[in-house]
Amino acid sequence: MTSRQILIFQFFAIFFFSCNVKNNDAKKEGVKDSLANKETVNPYATHDQSPLDMSYCPKDYPVFRMNGADSSLLVARIIYSRPQKKGRSIFGGSERNLVPYGKEWRLGANEATEIQFFKAVKIGKQKIDKGSYIIYAIPYQDKWTIILNSNLYTWGLHMDSRKDVFKIDVPTADQVPILEDFTIVFEPSDSGASMIMAWDKVRAALPIIFLK
Amino acid sequence: MMRFLLICTIFLLFTFSAHSQSLGPSLDKSPMDMSYYPNNYPLLKIQDNITGPAVARVIYSRPNKNGRIIFGELIEYGKVWRLGANEATEIEFYQNVKIGSTKVKKGTYTMYAIPATDKWTIIVNKETDTWGSFKYDIKKDLLRIDLPVEKQSEVAESFVMFFDKATNGISLQIIWDDIKVSLPISL
Repeated sequence: MTSRQILIFQFFAIFFFSCNVKNNDAKKEGVKDSLANKETVNPYATHDQSPLDMSYCPKDYPVFRMNGADSSLLVARIIYSRPQKKGRSIFGGSERNLVPYGKEWRLGANEATEIQFFKAVKIGKQKIDKGSYIIYAIPYQDKWTIILNSNLYTWGLHMDSRKDVFKIDVPTADQVPILEDFTIVFEPSDSGASMIMAWDKVRAALPIIFLK
Repeated sequence: MMRFLLICTIFLLFTFSAHSQSLGPSLDKSPMDMSYYPNNYPLLKIQDNITGPAVARVIYSRPNKNGRIIFGELIEYGKVWRLGANEATEIEFYQNVKIGSTKVKKGTYTMYAIPATDKWTIIVNKETDTWGSFKYDIKKDLLRIDLPVEKQSEVAESFVMFFDKATNGISLQIIWDDIKVSLPISL
């Protein structure tokens, strides 16, 4: 390659990179700027190692709304923290796993994960009333038990099972490729939406049925 | 020179291949955070240490200074700013409160600010679940309040908001770079 060819190539590379940066703004792709390694000087509260994030159903509803979409489109929102794999073995049958089978897991980190339904929906055969719930899981090898609970505004350890309001088992599937960051997103499905929960090599989906 | 360019190119390519995560968004550059009043309410709750109900919660994204001049440059004076990044900043009151002379009913609101050199206008608006301040609608304002700006000796790298106890209730501290603004909330 002549240096002129390299320059042209670089020009395209930079162009492509700047497109990515634009996407970041729209939250399509985030730069994984390893927060853990960043020496953030802040006398009040440092960035969290497992930062908080939110996902809407439909996906990117706030952007639709900004562009004039009708508020009746809004079905649900989940607020959760996003731990990273960092070379660890996440799900498994051993106590060495970060999230061992058969134990309750807060579907994230820090505060209990919170899901808000802006209208009533159906999950499985049960109607779920409009409102906010905390949501957690008990992962097993081939299924996860997903639980909605009414004990809001709490930290994600020691769930109070007396306040469970709904439980459902959903099958697990392989997540390819491996996910570094724990991710929850809503994807459209035939009957409504599917709330995808994925991390490392595992993926589970909670089917949400929209009511007419 | 050619070798230098080649190295630069390889480095650049490496940079973008490093940030893809196929399913949905990967971690945000300006991560989201939340603050409660009472502070750390969820933690106090699982320790059975709560003395009263939760009063308020703010959910916002936290951009970093990254060596930039923030107020007057990155955030222009006199323009509506979303008090954070990404989704519009959200404040939820679990009881009725008062800000300035306006009653604020229990519920969820969006917050914006109009920074200026010596004062900020804080806006509480009724349009929730939207993105940023790009389509901010003044008709949906619940209230506006002007607050003095305090200069801080310490620089806050990440934008931060948290609640403090105040004389007639609580105050929401809003801090970034060397600027601090306190929003008084009467209970």
